[in-house]
Amino acid sequence: MRALIIDDERLARKELAKLLEEHPSIEIVGEAMNADEAEQMINELNPDLLFLDIQMPGRTGFQLLESLDSVPLVVFTTAYDEFALKAFEVNALDYLLKPIQAERLSEAIHKIMEKERAKAGRGAGKKLGLEDQVFVKDGERCWFVSLANIRFFESDGNYIKVYFDTNRPMIHKSLNALDDRLDERAFFRASRKHIINLSWVESIEPWFNGGLMVKLRGGDKVEVSRRQAAKFKDMMSL
Amino acid sequence: MLYAAVQIVAALASVNGAISTQRIIFLFYEAFFCFLLTHGFRSYMNDNRWLAMIMPRLIPRVIASVLLLGVVMYFLRIPVSIPLGLYNWNVALDPSNILGQSVYYAILFFLWSVFYFMYNYFERYNKSLKLEASVKEIELSNLKSQLNPHFIFNALNSIRALVDENPEKSKQAINQLSNILRNSLTTEKKGLTKFGDELKVVRDYLGLESIRFEERLKTEFDIDPASKNFLVPPLMIQTLVENGVKHGISKLTEGGLIQVKTKVENNKLNIRIRNSGHYHINGHKRRGGLGLVNTSQRLKLLYGNEAHFAISNENDSFVLTEIIIPHLHS
Repeated sequence: MRALIIDDERLARKELAKLLEEHPSIEIVGEAMNADEAEQMINELNPDLLFLDIQMPGRTGFQLLESLDSVPLVVFTTAYDEFALKAFEVNALDYLLKPIQAERLSEAIHKIMEKERAKAGRGAGKKLGLEDQVFVKDGERCWFVSLANIRFFESDGNYIKVYFDTNRPMIHKSLNALDDRLDERAFFRASRKHIINLSWVESIEPWFNGGLMVKLRGGDKVEVSRRQAAKFKDMMSL
Repeated sequence: MLYAAVQIVAALASVNGAISTQRIIFLFYEAFFCFLLTHGFRSYMNDNRWLAMIMPRLIPRVIASVLLLGVVMYFLRIPVSIPLGLYNWNVALDPSNILGQSVYYAILFFLWSVFYFMYNYFERYNKSLKLEASVKEIELSNLKSQLNPHFIFNALNSIRALVDENPEKSKQAINQLSNILRNSLTTEKKGLTKFGDELKVVRDYLGLESIRFEERLKTEFDIDPASKNFLVPPLMIQTLVENGVKHGISKLTEGGLIQVKTKVENNKLNIRIRNSGHYHINGHKRRGGLGLVNTSQRLKLLYGNEAHFAISNENDSFVLTEIIIPHLHS
């Protein structure tokens, strides 16, 4: 696995790199000392895994993740960020407390390798498919959401509401920009307001003006506009 | 002023019946003398620290001085009352009159003393409660933020990496960290500490942060040798320096400078801490703001209005924190 270490302190990066020598399965492809540098390196090197410090000068680790379209696997490294870590849903991430203990690191890497095996389908430069994950932060709460769990996206002004489980946090992005990034075999632009996850579609009914009403598993209903309805029928009927 | 009013009322009460203009003039003189005497008495008590005396020593002193004041008061009014024609010399020098009137004044002065001591004891009690409360608050915030876990674990992490790279330096770092830990564990027992000791903690703290931030943190000291013996509240300067690192240096990708400068002028210690960064007046509503309010309150309680504390943006790239502390005699 190709990993990127992101930490503003040289000694902290060095220490982690040294600890990782014991794990030949992890290849360190780069080290970044702030979020800007990291963002550039992520786009160039496309790593599978980030070891990410939360508190950094300039943008924080969270802000870096928010700016990424697709988020690689992330292990947070922090000295003491009780509150920041509490923000996460249980099991949503792994984190290492500095000074990092070798056994704890082994555990984390073990978990990551399992996760990675489970989603072997990822590739560089491709559009975002169901195996990819995104990072969503809404006020105090944060999630790593697998796209497979997102039922649909709804545009709301300059924001997009992301519907998954019982949550609907907002991300600051336009629906058009998101549509360009999503794999069209998995997601469908139903109207100006909605993008739906095709794997969640339960039933389709004819609607007014030649449109369609799509019912998703879980009970949400999303209207497909007349313009998109023909395209949608084509896709769903093989 | 209050005493003068009390004396006028008391004096008015002492004469029943017809009050002539002369009497009123006389009463004003009398009140004025009372005011002068109590004022003198008060400053005498302050100079000799009577408020700090224990009761068995204090009570005889008060009674003796009150009697003396009564007699003095009696003779002070003679040169006023005779020209006004209220008394003649025979009456004025009659021993029974002297005794009676003096005792009467002595009682007035005694009542005044009781009132004065009660007021001051109460005030002092109040003040010590406030001081205690703010010390407790500081202890608590020391436990929560001073002994900043983020700092300690980051320092430990840096030291761990340093063990391979520079064993000598890592040993030194362990000593610095243990000095800081010991200091923050013992400060709660100390009310004030020598500036020299406080400076050592600041140096250790900055030494550790330099390991972590490396070339991003530059430090400068310019210490007046006369400042070493001043007494300062423990960890106050360290806290301010730590704020400078936390809100200044650590937010800057390029890092910056922390400068500690002291100067002794007019028997006052002037401490100036400069750090790179920008002070956001409204951005400190949460914990940082509370820390600053705490600092200024702590100074006020310890030194009254003689201490000075200010934080401001010196220019676009530097924040200046200035403290002026008077010399306390231990």
